[in-house]
Amino acid sequence: MQLLLLCRQGKKEKMERKAFLQMCNLPIKVVCRANAEYMSPSGKVPFIHVGNQVVSELGPIVQFVKAKGHSLSDGLDEVQKAEMKAYMELVNNMLLTAELYLQWCDEATVGEITHARYGSPYPWPLNHILAYQKQWEVKRKMKAIGWGNKTLDQVLEDVDQCCQALSQRLGTQPYFFNKQPTELDALVFGHLYTILTTQLTNDELSEKVKNYSNLLAFCRRIEQHYFEDRGKGSSSIKSS
Amino acid sequence: MAAPLELSCWGGGWGLPSVHSESLVVMAYAKFSGAPLKVNVIDKTWRGSRGDVPILTTEDNIVSQPAKILNFLRKQKYNADYELSAKQGADTLAYIALIEEKLLPAVLHTFWVESDNYFSVTKPWFASRIPFPLSLILPGRISKGALNRILLTRGEPPLYHLREVEAQIYRDAKECLNLLSNRLGTSQFFFGDTPSTLDAYVFGFLAPLYKVRFPKVQLQEHLKQLSNLCRFCDDILNSYFRLSLGVDHFLLKVNHRYLLSPC
Repeated sequence: MQLLLLCRQGKKEKMERKAFLQMCNLPIKVVCRANAEYMSPSGKVPFIHVGNQVVSELGPIVQFVKAKGHSLSDGLDEVQKAEMKAYMELVNNMLLTAELYLQWCDEATVGEITHARYGSPYPWPLNHILAYQKQWEVKRKMKAIGWGNKTLDQVLEDVDQCCQALSQRLGTQPYFFNKQPTELDALVFGHLYTILTTQLTNDELSEKVKNYSNLLAFCRRIEQHYFEDRGKGSSSIKSS
Repeated sequence: MAAPLELSCWGGGWGLPSVHSESLVVMAYAKFSGAPLKVNVIDKTWRGSRGDVPILTTEDNIVSQPAKILNFLRKQKYNADYELSAKQGADTLAYIALIEEKLLPAVLHTFWVESDNYFSVTKPWFASRIPFPLSLILPGRISKGALNRILLTRGEPPLYHLREVEAQIYRDAKECLNLLSNRLGTSQFFFGDTPSTLDAYVFGFLAPLYKVRFPKVQLQEHLKQLSNLCRFCDDILNSYFRLSLGVDHFLLKVNHRYLLSPC
């Protein structure tokens, strides 16, 4: 099964999907396209293209891969599966929302980095229009979930709380459910790696993560085992 | 001597001290942690901002939003999580995130978006506790806010039609209820023998779904099949809120009168 992972030029990769696929030992080929967002069934990138099927988002990708006979969480019992799903929601709830906030609602970051990066595949004035439209959409969503009035400090505090919870759950184990990685490990790795390697106007977000040495060790371990060992990628900063 | 703590929140009915999830979370936490809370039920005469409810007032502070109120209570040494380990504390955050992401959209939909439920139960109940003419406007605003939240957080492509979004959120909510039931098992509370923050959140979100009588009940029916979760809610109601149940029985009769009268 040849898996094509499609991503958008000028946009940083969502490492969690790539990590998950690597963990399942599936051979993937990464392809960049400017219109990848429009090819994706959910509008989200990256997505996978296998044969004549197209699947996006980590949840459906996990289901799809499971249907083909690969699963990372079969060895878990019901209570552990519940825990895994809960922690995945925590990461989505706090880390993903914080990343979006920082990218689109923090004026300094928006002006210096996000606008340029998001609009880079398009000519003027489309690059500005699309960037503003995306910003408006994100701000609307933030307001709906109650993050509209949060300050940067409050967001950073939430990130810290989330990292603390993840750090406590991980403890001294190599992966969240001891010996074998699961979807949760892929998701956490994806987010933490992105936070640690993406350059923003301030380093406060990555500093929050760096406070937790076991999380840093966790990221390094996965990066070494699943990415460097296979001769793919590097830990250098990939932005725009 | 601690300053008196007053909680302004939506009132009760159907055997509950409050029908509003967030108010119920705070009330349950206060009972679990032993915080001496004076509960002020909102009625037509209350002049505050109903959008911020529940609101905790002390001599020098006004705190809104359940997470902030619970944090405040903990700082005042009313801590229901004192005996939890670090990992259990982390699990609490994770399960609360699960409830907010997977269960809350369907609860909002059941109360505020599903038209049969909204027009025959939710709207009359809330409108009767809001002064005219705000009673004509506020319930509609809350309903639109709920729909907005559901669509913005869950209505992304490929789910274009509201009906598809609705199907997805109810699927997620049922899965969440199953997960909570699996996690609770046969224990009395989620962490050992004493209730903690997570128990307050689960109770707050589950109890209204369990007890309020709605015409459209698909999520309620699913919850009623998970007997350990129903037992969990009933145990907390009996152990911590028994004294107020007598008052609620009276309120239930009053509610019926409001529902039957033309409005």
